[in-house]
Amino acid sequence: MSANIEIAGVSKIYDGGVRAVDAIAMDIRPGEFFSLLGPSGCGKTTTLRMIAGFDSPSAGEIRLDGADITHVPAHKRDMAMVFQNYALFPHRTVAENVAFGLRMRKIDKATIATKVKAALAMVELSGMEDRKPAQLSGGQQQRVALARAIVISPRVLLCDEPLGALDKKLRQQMQFELKQLQKALGLTLVFVTHDQEEALAMSDRIAVMNAGRVEQIGTPVEIYDQPRTCFVADFIGDTNIFRGQRVTMDHGIGIAAGNGLLLALPDNIAAAGSEVLSVALRPEKIAVAPADPVEARSKGMSTRGTVESTNFLGGAVLYRLVLDSGHRVLVQQPNSGAPLHPPGQAVALGWRPADLVILED
Amino acid sequence: MPATSAPRVNSLALLILPSALLFALFFFLPIGLMAVMSVLTGNPVVMPNVGFTTKHYARMGNDSYYLEVIWTTIRIGLWTTLAALVIGYPLAHWMARIRSRTGHALLLMAVLAPMLTGIVVRTFAWMTLLSDKGVINQILTSFGLITKPLQLMYNETGIIIGLVHIYVPFMVLTLTGVIGRIDERLEQAAENLGASPWRAFMEVTLPLSLPGILAGSLLVFALAISAYVTPILLGGFQIMTLPILIYQQISANFNVGFAAALGMVLLAISLILVIAYNHMLGLVSGQRGLQ
Ligand SMILES: Nc1ncnc2c1ncn2[C@@H]1O[C@H](COP(=O)(O)OP(=O)(O)OP(=O)(O)O)[C@@H](O)[C@H]1O
Ligand SMILES: [Mg+2]
Repeated sequence: MSANIEIAGVSKIYDGGVRAVDAIAMDIRPGEFFSLLGPSGCGKTTTLRMIAGFDSPSAGEIRLDGADITHVPAHKRDMAMVFQNYALFPHRTVAENVAFGLRMRKIDKATIATKVKAALAMVELSGMEDRKPAQLSGGQQQRVALARAIVISPRVLLCDEPLGALDKKLRQQMQFELKQLQKALGLTLVFVTHDQEEALAMSDRIAVMNAGRVEQIGTPVEIYDQPRTCFVADFIGDTNIFRGQRVTMDHGIGIAAGNGLLLALPDNIAAAGSEVLSVALRPEKIAVAPADPVEARSKGMSTRGTVESTNFLGGAVLYRLVLDSGHRVLVQQPNSGAPLHPPGQAVALGWRPADLVILED
Repeated sequence: MPATSAPRVNSLALLILPSALLFALFFFLPIGLMAVMSVLTGNPVVMPNVGFTTKHYARMGNDSYYLEVIWTTIRIGLWTTLAALVIGYPLAHWMARIRSRTGHALLLMAVLAPMLTGIVVRTFAWMTLLSDKGVINQILTSFGLITKPLQLMYNETGIIIGLVHIYVPFMVLTLTGVIGRIDERLEQAAENLGASPWRAFMEVTLPLSLPGILAGSLLVFALAISAYVTPILLGGFQIMTLPILIYQQISANFNVGFAAALGMVLLAISLILVIAYNHMLGLVSGQRGLQ
């Protein structure tokens, strides 16, 4: 039932020359929870609208299970969309809203009634059949929108920031429910969000978009641990980025990040091309210890710095440090119960070369 | 609380007072006078001893001629409204949904331009088009499509054509406002769920624009049944409507009482419509569904 979507070299140029989407390519697999993640205005909604058939691409092709649907009108695509603002029919009751797609499919009344009842039960809205959308809370409206989309058993479900308007608690609950539902029905789901935590938590794969282009496609772990570009490293989570000349060190190569800061690169990427490189280092991959020479040396912590600020987050501690070379770095340590390093304290830092990720520009 | 809110109510009342007075003086007073006149035996200004009577209303009820005039007026109003709606709705939809600013400006100009010319001028323009030797009949004859000129004027058709032309802008402007406020994504949601564009229009846009349809129709109908110049010129006194009759009663027959009674009937028709409109709107936007 679920389908595969191929987006091949698709661009969208709006009247007036805005290049909203620029030659993107992605292959969304059957039954996959696929997220489009990126900052506001990067072309997520435009991409989704082209998949749904509301906008036609200026170039490229969209295929559904191998068949070219680039010019198939929206009402013949058999996809269901949950709109950013829900787009519930205000003059129809909850039950009528959910029944709409089934009525368009000329299904008999008795079957419609059964399916509507089941769909509303699934989103826990039983008993609200006769209300109008205006008489529902934001979260309930969102669930009606979801029920209206899934009740037609679409081949593809498209969601445009469907959880954007909800408070944190309801949002987490709905994230969980949506994921469960998608799994249970085996739906191919394209999910638009600008919330990286949401994307990481829910997706099978993520396409990170920036300014109309796809920066990287990968699983949440790949996106987080192996960001390919500076943009991805910076956009997903917190990160420290160092930039400098490639230099040959005692064992292999490294980066001279300036002011005497030398970073050893992992051995396996000796072939890294250009002369000037950027590397990313996640805050939680850095170890911090008091700058006691003996202790630090024994752990191989050769970089020195000073604590600038200490933020206790509960499960973790976030430090802002200034290295002796002048670089500012962010370090996150699990709360192990050890005493915190107060601001002003001199510390030693260490990390494994393998945790450095070389970025494309 | 009451101590602080009382002065505020007073100052609000003071602000409203001028317009309330104006309204009373120029709206309720004349209508009240008209209502009183319609049940008096004569004009109290020139006749000292007048009494109460229902003869003016009885005259209307007893003479089928007057009922015929009332019905003609309503019929012209209904046809004008229907035609204005059929012509105006697509135009309003186009205007509400057009993306380009220039396009919108041009459409607005096209709709508003006729209103910049006086009604008399426009009606005479229609006469040159519709008369037996007018543009339309000349063209049709020269193409050999007709042998005898079509009767386009001095009948209800002519009046309705003239009225529709004058009142379509009111319909378009009322509808554009309402259609423009309907979220386009609702139509897209309907199409996304499998409705063809036409079906999406019928299921979503049309019902949601019903308040505009009602308001525009009410406006056009009320204006059409009280129109005077167009029915006279394009009807050529062959067609009698309420406003023409009222004018005749005052200027030729000096029967102010009967004219007032006819005026009350015209007012009553409009009032009944407004009440029906409010009722319908309540049904449309209230708890009940539209199906
Ligand atoms: N109808 C339009 N005409 C012209 N430009 C448009 C139109 N719709 C969107 N754009 C532009 O295209 C770009 C991408 O817009 P899009 O709506 O796809 O962004 P988005 O990634 O969904 O952002 P958000 O997270 O804010 O919803 C933006 O720069 C936007 O201004
Ligand atoms: Mg968007």
